[in-house]
Amino acid sequence: MSLISVIQQIASGFGATLLIFFCTLLFSMPLGVLVALGRMSKFKPLSLLIQGIISVLRGTPLMLQLIVVFYGPYYAFGIKLSTNWRLYATLIGFSINYAAYFAEIFRAGIQSIPVGQTEAATVLGYTKVQTFLKIIFPQMIKRTIPPVTNEVITLVKDTSLSFVLAYQEMFTYAKQVSAAMSSLMPLFVAGVFYYIFNLVVTIVMDRIEKALSYYN
Amino acid sequence: MMKKLAAMLLTGVMAVSLAACGGSTAASTSSNDSAAEEEVQEEPAEEADAAEAEADAATAEANDDTTFVVGFDAEYPPYGYLDEATGDYTGFDLELAQELCNRRGWTLVKQPINWDNKDAEIDSGTIDCIWNGMTYTGREADYTWSDPYVNNSIVMAVLADSDIQTLADLAGKVVITQTESSAQTALESEELADLTATFADLQKNPSYNTCFTDMQAGAVDAIAVDIGVAQYQMRNNPDKFRILEEPIAAEQYAIAFKLGNETLRDQVQETYDEMLADGTVMKIAENYADDNLPDMLITEK
Repeated sequence: MSLISVIQQIASGFGATLLIFFCTLLFSMPLGVLVALGRMSKFKPLSLLIQGIISVLRGTPLMLQLIVVFYGPYYAFGIKLSTNWRLYATLIGFSINYAAYFAEIFRAGIQSIPVGQTEAATVLGYTKVQTFLKIIFPQMIKRTIPPVTNEVITLVKDTSLSFVLAYQEMFTYAKQVSAAMSSLMPLFVAGVFYYIFNLVVTIVMDRIEKALSYYN
Repeated sequence: MMKKLAAMLLTGVMAVSLAACGGSTAASTSSNDSAAEEEVQEEPAEEADAAEAEADAATAEANDDTTFVVGFDAEYPPYGYLDEATGDYTGFDLELAQELCNRRGWTLVKQPINWDNKDAEIDSGTIDCIWNGMTYTGREADYTWSDPYVNNSIVMAVLADSDIQTLADLAGKVVITQTESSAQTALESEELADLTATFADLQKNPSYNTCFTDMQAGAVDAIAVDIGVAQYQMRNNPDKFRILEEPIAAEQYAIAFKLGNETLRDQVQETYDEMLADGTVMKIAENYADDNLPDMLITEK
């Protein structure tokens, strides 16, 4: 089996990896903002509840969370699982886990904006929502791009964890090709795929960071 | 300024996610093809909204009574593995399942599973059966079983130039096997307790393929493995490995269904018996003659 066909086989799983990657970002980032706001809420029970949830999501392995999301409905409620649940459970597991991390990053960003700005906005007659959307949020985005990039790069590699639910993404394919060939070479090919993917992610995030630093 | 920023961000996100959808459309469809619908629904790569189309198709399949979802470990040649040439899942057991589905007018879905989670998979209904060199011996009460169809033996594989010749030579050596495999069950059983006690260590790895790499690298001395898997490795790595003459255990393979699912078991058994009687099973086994399957096949009740 030639190197080219190995690359083809592994590439056939790349779409699934991309699907997990982009859907997770799409869901977890907005969710992260909401969770961050809830975490900072003056309403104590909400804030405590969210602190607890974040603590569990960050304190247990993502692999375990995926298993819980996938098999949970059957073992907890006796619901018979359908075939497409494999994908959905993967996406839900990744999204809530990454939302917990993003929430803490966004909270740091929001809290780093001087209180004086909020006070000035209040004096100028901005409502709370307006103050957040027009003043705090845009600055928060700019400031949190480096740590968000960190998480995004980690996510690229974490997608391979979905093997635990046997969702057929790139690394699962690499392992299968590896077994069929009785050789480890396909795993290194997969490594090159991840590296190039992350190179692209880094360049894109760098561009976004530059584009947003229009005051400097 | 805020609007500009928002517009820019949104555009960025949308461009990226659209690109992603485009990319994943083709790729995930093709992966789905190979994973599940191979030979059954050879639709040309749909350009439509990939994820949704795929999901809908999957729902339809899962809810359909005529769909037969076979769970298998895709890293388990020659019983179930990824065919290098075509990118489809194949193997002795999957070919049997395909023929069985053709006869019954069922749609075969080949669902690769994580072997560690096979019980959860079958209990929760994500798969209808495990048909993948699944050892019946010793697990009789855990599943509803078909009749055994293959005689398997568990052997010790060592490096070709190793000084290990007999089971007695394994004393003080490091042995590895696949996690949750029948080889592990056998080694941990009472019958083999004396043998296992002589090992320096019994290690487990989720993949037999990694076990063989470990041994080549010198990290372990011997592998307890199903004979079919060992022979497949020996063909792909000529002159690297050797099998000890004396097997450590003899056992049988059968098809596993969820405990109590006798209706489906009886249907499968009926058609399998027909296939066995008219020689089709043997014909499929001949495709795997290199792996000795014709000899291992159980041809009589």
